[in-house]
Amino acid sequence: MLKAKVILVALGAALAMPQALAGATPEEDRKETVEYFKQMFPDVPLEEFVNGQYALNEDRRKQWESMQDFPPYEFAVAEGKEMFETPFANGKTYASCFENGGIGIRQNYPYFDTEKKEVITLELAINRCREANGEEPLRWKKGAIASISAYMASTSEGKPINIEVPDDPDALAAYQDGKEFYYSRRGQLNFSCASCHVQNPGKWIRADFLSPALGQPSNFPVHRSKWGELGTLHRRFAGCNNNVRAEPLPAQSEEYRNLEYFLTYMSNGLPVVGPATRP
Amino acid sequence: MNKPLLTIGISLALSVPLAAQAGAKEDFNEVYAKAQSTHQDAGNFQWTTTTDRMKAAKTSAESGDYDKAASMARQALKLAQESVAQRKQQQEAWRNAAIGN
Repeated sequence: MLKAKVILVALGAALAMPQALAGATPEEDRKETVEYFKQMFPDVPLEEFVNGQYALNEDRRKQWESMQDFPPYEFAVAEGKEMFETPFANGKTYASCFENGGIGIRQNYPYFDTEKKEVITLELAINRCREANGEEPLRWKKGAIASISAYMASTSEGKPINIEVPDDPDALAAYQDGKEFYYSRRGQLNFSCASCHVQNPGKWIRADFLSPALGQPSNFPVHRSKWGELGTLHRRFAGCNNNVRAEPLPAQSEEYRNLEYFLTYMSNGLPVVGPATRP
Repeated sequence: MNKPLLTIGISLALSVPLAAQAGAKEDFNEVYAKAQSTHQDAGNFQWTTTTDRMKAAKTSAESGDYDKAASMARQALKLAQESVAQRKQQQEAWRNAAIGN
């Protein structure tokens, strides 16, 4: 009788457990995602996914390869390096705020700060560094912050993305929140991020060729021909939301940082190739 | 000619458009407030089209065209209600599309 009660209580507890907690672990998600894309594009080597649409479309790849002779982001990277090395008014530089002086660390961002209980993106860390040194924060989506971020990314070229979800319920909640955002349909057009980049990569949507989710964050900040300049990942998030007629959220909002956390974790092990170019 | 009757008649005739405008203004205010609060309820599922209609409604109201303003506000309310429905529906539906669930 007692045994039956124990079984019933255990069964009740299992049923009451929130689905989010009962779901897959981040690492299980990542492995399944990699397998999904391998099956969808069996001829594309795994590391090629970081090149997005250029890995899937031969014409686009040829255009891209010809652009690589004189990448349009080169000046911005040089400008970013100069800003990175120029001391603040107090004499310190950005290097003082980052591990290894900020060189070769792009692959570790974003990370979950277990003390502050929030996701820290590279751009957020750049602006917090400025504020800690008495400087005004930069605008989030383009301009100086994109140039500095591009320079820092360039020092990590080829390093495998290494995002961790620590054993902390808040970190897991941030990851799950990003995952939920990614798969939730929004906007009047009723599209999720996944509608395009998981379910339909390799297809055209009007004049745009859809890239796969796998490897997407590794090429940011990105120089888009459409923008004519560099932009950050959150600028792109806002653009995607706007395209489906969903009200974009502020760059570096908690939602977008969690989204970046989830999306970048999915690309763990793939090389950093940012900055890069896209149409 | 009956002067008092004529005066009352003219007064009534002149007050009709004013009364109609007052009704349209109240109608607009009511629908706009409802659209605004429903739009807020959508949280991070707000639609840009709702925002556009709300702005158009406000602009029409500021120029005194309350009929058009109320019409725009009604459109905004309908869109906002759809976005709230989407938010509620996606609370669970997202899992059906997710890899790893």
